[in-house]
Amino acid sequence: MAASAHMLGRLTLSWLAVVAAAFLLLRLMPGDPVEVFLSHVNISAGPETVAAYRVQWGLDGSVAGQFLRWLGGFLTFDWGVSYQTGRPVATDFAARVPYSAAIGFGGMSLAVIAGYALGFLAAHHPDGVPDKLSRSLAVAGQALPAFAVGLILLWVLGVQLRWIDALGGGSVERILLPALLVAFFSIGSMSRLTRAGFLEVKSSPYFRTALAKGLSPLGALWHHGRVAGALTLIAGLAPELAWIVGGTAVAEIVFGVPGLSERVVQAVNHRDYAILQPYIALVAIWMAVALQGARLLRRVFDPRVA
Amino acid sequence: MNYSYLPRTLAAAAVSGAMMASATVHAEEVTIGQTFLASGLDPAEGSNGWALVSHGIGEQLFRVSRDGEVVPNLAASATPNDDGTWTVELAPDRFFSDGTPVTAEVVATGLNRTGEANPSARATAGLLTFSAVDSDTLTVATEQPTTILPSILAEWAFPIYRLEGDELIFTGPFAVEQFEPGGSIEMTPNKFYADAEARPDITLRRIADGQSLALAFAAGELDMAFNLPVETLAMLEGKSGNTVSFPVAYQYMMWMNTRTPALSDPRVRQAIDMAVSREDLVTAAQAGVPATGAFAESYPFAAAGPLPYDPAGAAALLDEAGWSLGEDGVRTRDGERLELVVYAYPQRPDLVTFQPVVRAALADIGIAVTTQVTESPSEVAASGEFDLFLWAQHTAPAGDPGLFLSLFFETDAARNYSGWSDADYDALIAELRAAGDPKARIDLAQRAQEMIADAAPVAFLVTPEWHVGLSPALAAYEPWGSDYYVIRPDLGVAQ
Repeated sequence: MAASAHMLGRLTLSWLAVVAAAFLLLRLMPGDPVEVFLSHVNISAGPETVAAYRVQWGLDGSVAGQFLRWLGGFLTFDWGVSYQTGRPVATDFAARVPYSAAIGFGGMSLAVIAGYALGFLAAHHPDGVPDKLSRSLAVAGQALPAFAVGLILLWVLGVQLRWIDALGGGSVERILLPALLVAFFSIGSMSRLTRAGFLEVKSSPYFRTALAKGLSPLGALWHHGRVAGALTLIAGLAPELAWIVGGTAVAEIVFGVPGLSERVVQAVNHRDYAILQPYIALVAIWMAVALQGARLLRRVFDPRVA
Repeated sequence: MNYSYLPRTLAAAAVSGAMMASATVHAEEVTIGQTFLASGLDPAEGSNGWALVSHGIGEQLFRVSRDGEVVPNLAASATPNDDGTWTVELAPDRFFSDGTPVTAEVVATGLNRTGEANPSARATAGLLTFSAVDSDTLTVATEQPTTILPSILAEWAFPIYRLEGDELIFTGPFAVEQFEPGGSIEMTPNKFYADAEARPDITLRRIADGQSLALAFAAGELDMAFNLPVETLAMLEGKSGNTVSFPVAYQYMMWMNTRTPALSDPRVRQAIDMAVSREDLVTAAQAGVPATGAFAESYPFAAAGPLPYDPAGAAALLDEAGWSLGEDGVRTRDGERLELVVYAYPQRPDLVTFQPVVRAALADIGIAVTTQVTESPSEVAASGEFDLFLWAQHTAPAGDPGLFLSLFFETDAARNYSGWSDADYDALIAELRAAGDPKARIDLAQRAQEMIADAAPVAFLVTPEWHVGLSPALAAYEPWGSDYYVIRPDLGVAQ
């Protein structure tokens, strides 16, 4: 009980430090939100209009005062309104999170399933075709720009082959290609992690014993390695899951999906602190949850961790 | 009981009945892709008013015509009163999309609400207070005196709407059926707007990335792709539909900081203005037309142009100003080299593209230029810590030249980035501010531009162009008005 309270206290302090640092850093970003807004909407406004917006957006007063005002609002679920759109931030987030979650979790699920299978096959036959494919995907995931891959997907599947109405179809069609894009960039790393887990088992005495008992290499590897493969995958999955919230911006922008990540990119361009600040606060909470969740999951699979 | 609505309501019923009787219900549907979409439907919030008018959902009392003139829309007229207020007469037989008539009381309620909530609605003449005199007449009191109320009422902050509980109802040619913020808007023709049967249903889809917009158009998913990146036009050649380009009212210009020692001499500024080839800038940006002055050529108050390109004359002006060409190709005066820094900002990529062109042009007349890019253009410009600053500005968003000419050039004005000061110019702008007659305002605006050209605190460079992809269904559509009037009453499907 005391340990849990200690951990909760530590997490709360870390969260406060992150949001306070983010609050300060946002204000050090070049570009004044009011000036950016006015230039976007072509208002040649005088100082009175600028001052009116500052008051309306809570940008008057000291930075410390602004932070305390924002923190109080955030903790009481009064997240204010976007500078850019005037819409309540919470409403905006609620409308957009489902898209980002579907793309992020859908893509990551695809990546986990495909990566696990590919990693298993790659470990079974090192330097074979699955292994080479796994390595190529891992390199491609690191080297290729996501924007370019997204546009190629759109060009090939949407324009040339016309297999999918990527930008104008129903909700499933709109999610499919973005999720594939997210999966493409994770399958390689997932398969390499899984492969490492399986390979560790292959070098163990009990694996050789299983072979000596007459099990096929594929059957022995699956029987003795599937948990080890899953454990290494889970260990690598936690940081991947952490960036799901906000990490799908390219997919959303390329495929015109009104998700949260795309909104955050807009907010950066418009210096819309009202969107950015709660977003950072939520991501910090999500990361803590994702990392703790992964730790718990590993305990379930491997009691030694506990 | 108030029967004043009765004739209008009967008229609305007649219009509605005629629509139903014609039974030529809009058979076509079109899909339009844009990089921007209304964030909400409340003009009192953010810049929603702009998007609502652009999408054909909302309308103002006045609007800017294709020829750049402010013309009546939901209003019939606006006349100044002796006490400084204005009287606005509403146009007859105009209705909201639910069939209720547009009355002075409803207009006043909506616009007063917007004015209280949205600082943009108070930017030009302070708070405007609307009062209904009768069902067709309003008086408008302005916090600051103005002679251009019609132009102010054409600003994007002033769409007319009626509040029905939490719902907002507008008067534009299209009515909102379904709205997904950030994603799409489904619209149907407003049955109570003239010629509704000629208009299609519209799906307005937001595609934030220009490349994706072009690909969606190439795939045949869109009937209109608004504001395509210039580099995608070649890819779209040979595809179904065509692309059209049109000049927009944003102007690209270059501020010259008159507070710096070198640029305090008007001859040096004039030399710079004459040394830059506007044609070369157009080539670099791959689109646009050379600017003739502060305003796009479509405006009646635009300067005649063309602006001079004369490198030899520019060199002679620098000689006259005492800047002698050195052996290294850079001019000096009293041991000081003629070196300038030109700023641009990445939010307007064309301006960054212009930097090397400007540098090469000025190098040809002996001015050494270094380039800088800033993320904070307004801050740098306001600080006065620059020599030359490439800038983009919509110079007449509401169809009037006055605000730009005063706010950016009058002595000590809030955005007088160049620091230029001229008593004769200030007097001319005071005259412009007081002038109500449109012809007189045109004449004064053109004279002001001549004075600016003579003193050269700024070089007006290029009027940019935007590009629109149109499927055969919308082949007859002609874009104009930048992104202020994209979906207009005349948007119909080609037969």
